[in-house]
Amino acid sequence: MAGVRIQHLYKRYGKEKQAVVSDFELEIKDKEFIVFVGPSGCGKSTTLRMIAGLEEVTEGEIFIDDQLVNKLPPKDRDISMVFQNYALYPNLSVYENIAFGLRMRKLPKHEIDLAVKQASRVLEIEPYLHRKPKDLSGGQRQRVALGRAIVRNPKLFLMDEPLSNLDAKLRVTMRMEITKLHKKLGTTFIYVTHDQIEAMTMADRIVVMKGGIIQQCDTPERVYSKPANMFVAGFIGSPPINFIQGRIVETPIGRLEFQTNRFQLKVNEAEEYILRSNNQVNKSIILGIRPENVKLEGLFSETIITGIYRDNELMGADRFLYLDIGQEKPLIARVDPDNRFNENEKVKVELDLSKAHFFHQETGVRLTE
Amino acid sequence: MRSSNLVARISFNTFMLALSVFMILPIIYIFNHAFKPYHELFVYPPTFFVKEPNVQNFVELFWVTANSIVPVTRYLFNSVVISGLSVLGVTIVSALCAYPLSKHPFPGKKFIFSTIILMLMFTPEIVQIPRYLVVSELGIMNTYWGHLLPILASPVAVFLLKQFIDQIPDSLIEASKIDGANEVVTFVRIVIPMCMPAIATVAILAFQNSWGNIETSTLFMQDDEMKNFPYFLSTLTNNLANNVARQGAAAVAALIMLIPNLIFFIILQSKVISTMAHSGIK
Repeated sequence: MAGVRIQHLYKRYGKEKQAVVSDFELEIKDKEFIVFVGPSGCGKSTTLRMIAGLEEVTEGEIFIDDQLVNKLPPKDRDISMVFQNYALYPNLSVYENIAFGLRMRKLPKHEIDLAVKQASRVLEIEPYLHRKPKDLSGGQRQRVALGRAIVRNPKLFLMDEPLSNLDAKLRVTMRMEITKLHKKLGTTFIYVTHDQIEAMTMADRIVVMKGGIIQQCDTPERVYSKPANMFVAGFIGSPPINFIQGRIVETPIGRLEFQTNRFQLKVNEAEEYILRSNNQVNKSIILGIRPENVKLEGLFSETIITGIYRDNELMGADRFLYLDIGQEKPLIARVDPDNRFNENEKVKVELDLSKAHFFHQETGVRLTE
Repeated sequence: MRSSNLVARISFNTFMLALSVFMILPIIYIFNHAFKPYHELFVYPPTFFVKEPNVQNFVELFWVTANSIVPVTRYLFNSVVISGLSVLGVTIVSALCAYPLSKHPFPGKKFIFSTIILMLMFTPEIVQIPRYLVVSELGIMNTYWGHLLPILASPVAVFLLKQFIDQIPDSLIEASKIDGANEVVTFVRIVIPMCMPAIATVAILAFQNSWGNIETSTLFMQDDEMKNFPYFLSTLTNNLANNVARQGAAAVAALIMLIPNLIFFIILQSKVISTMAHSGIK
C-alpha cells in the first residue's frame, strides 16, 4: 500500500516571487500509474524531485503512505527513481550498479545476489551483468536503470523522462515494457514526460501542468475528450486540435448560430443549452474541434463549411489536410489518404459538432453545464 | 588533394619527430653522464655518449657519502617520505575541497572559489616570508610538517578537480542519494572513481612540486638530516671551492632526481590521457 497525498505544494527558488510549482494538490492511489505531462519548464520535474526529496519543499505537504515526508531524506522515503540520462555509475559493472542500493542497505550477500539476478531476469539483462555501462546500448542502459530501480522493491517509482534519450522505435517498445512492468510489480508509478503520446498510452491518470499549475487531472480518455481548457485541448492530441475564433449569435427564429467571418454553423440543442447557461449569447467564443471530427463525407449535414486547400501531410494511414477557412491558422482535417486535392481547390468538410467544444474567449476554460 | 595532404602529414611528422628527439636529449645525456668515469666527465669538447661505462659514480655517491655526517640515503629517505605524503595529502585535500565547491550549494561558495582562483596568480616567492612566519609560529620547523604543510594547499589542483567534478552529472549523485548512500560513500565510491584522470594529473603535479622542492629545505630546515635530496644535489654542485670534486656523484644524483619523475609520469600518463569514461551518460 503506497498512496501519495500532496497538499498545497509550492516551490519557489531563492527570493523569487514567481512560484515554479504552485498550489499543487493531488491524491495518488496505491498501484496507480500517474503521468505528469506539460511543456518544458512547467514544474513537472520539480514536483517529482520534491516527492523524491531531491528538492526542498517551499510550502505544503507531501505524504507517502500517510507519512509526512517533507523533511525525510530521499533514502528514507523508500522510493526509487529513474533519471533521463539513466545516471548509471560508470565505474561500476551492471551487476554492481543494480546491487549498489542493496549494499547501502547492508543486505546479506546472498540476498543481494538473488535480488540482482531476479531483477535482471525480469528485464532480460542477465547477459550483460559483468559489463560496464559504457559497453551497453541506449536501450540496455535504460533497462539497467530500471533494474536498479526495481531491485529494492520500493513503495514508489519515480521516472523523470526516462525514454527521451532513446530513438523513436525503441521508445515504443520501452513504453510497453514499462507498462508491463507496472502491472507485474503492482507498485505506484509517477512518470514525468513532455511527450503527450507517452502520457496517453501509459497513464491511469494524466496530470497536465503548465506554469507550475495543474491544468487538469483525469484519465487519458477524459483528458482527450473533455479537456478542461484550451491549453489541455491543444497540448494533448496530434495533430493538434483546431481552434476557430467566432461569435455566438441568436437567429430570428430563436436558434443559436456560431458565426465567423466566412461561415455560420447551427449549434445543436445540447450545446445551445450550455451556451445559454453560460451566458455566451452575442459573445466572442472559441470553438475547438479535433482533426478527426472534421470529415469530408456527409454532404447533407447542416455543418458543412468550405475551405481552400493549402497543404497536406501523408501519414500513411491518414492524410492531414490544411484548409484555409479565414482563420489565423489553417483548419486541419484528418481524412482518408486516398483523397487528393489540387492547390487552392475548394474543399467541403463537415464538422461533427457533437464532439466539438466551446471555450471561453478570455479564460480559455471549456464551457460546461 | 590527397598527395598534398600526404606531404603535409609527412613534413609535420618529421618536424614533430625532430622536436621530440630534441626534447629527449637531456634525458639521454643524464643517463650517459651518470655512467661516465671521471676523465670522461671533464673531457673537452664534452662527449654525448659514454665510452667506458662504469658504476664508479654510484659507488662514490652511496659509499663515500655514507661516511659523512648525514648520509645520502637520509636525504633520499626524506624526499621519498615527503613526496609520498604530499601526493597523498594534496590529492585528498584538493578533492575534498573541490567536491563541495562543485556540487553543494552553500553561502560564500562563489567567494571561496574566487579566492582560490586569485591565489593562482601568486608566485611562491611572494608568499615566502608569510609562509616562513606561519611555519615558525606553528613550531614545525625541522619536522616533516614543515615540508608538507606549505605545499598542501594547491589552488591548481583544486581548480583542476573542481572543473572535472563539474562534468559529473548531478543525477549520478542524486541517484546514489536515493540508493541510500551518504555523502562519504557517494564521494568515495562514485565521485572519486569518476575523476581518476584528474586525480592522476593532480598527483603528478604534486609529486613534481615536492620532489624538486628546495625551498622548504633551505627555509624551514636547519637540521641537515631533515633536508631533502634536491637540496643535497644543490650542495654537491654549488658552493664548492673547486668544481671538480663530487662531479661524478652529482651526475648520479641528477639521474636519481629524474627517474622517479619519469616512472611516475609513465605510470599515470595513460590515466591522464584517457578521457573520462562517460558511460551511462549521454
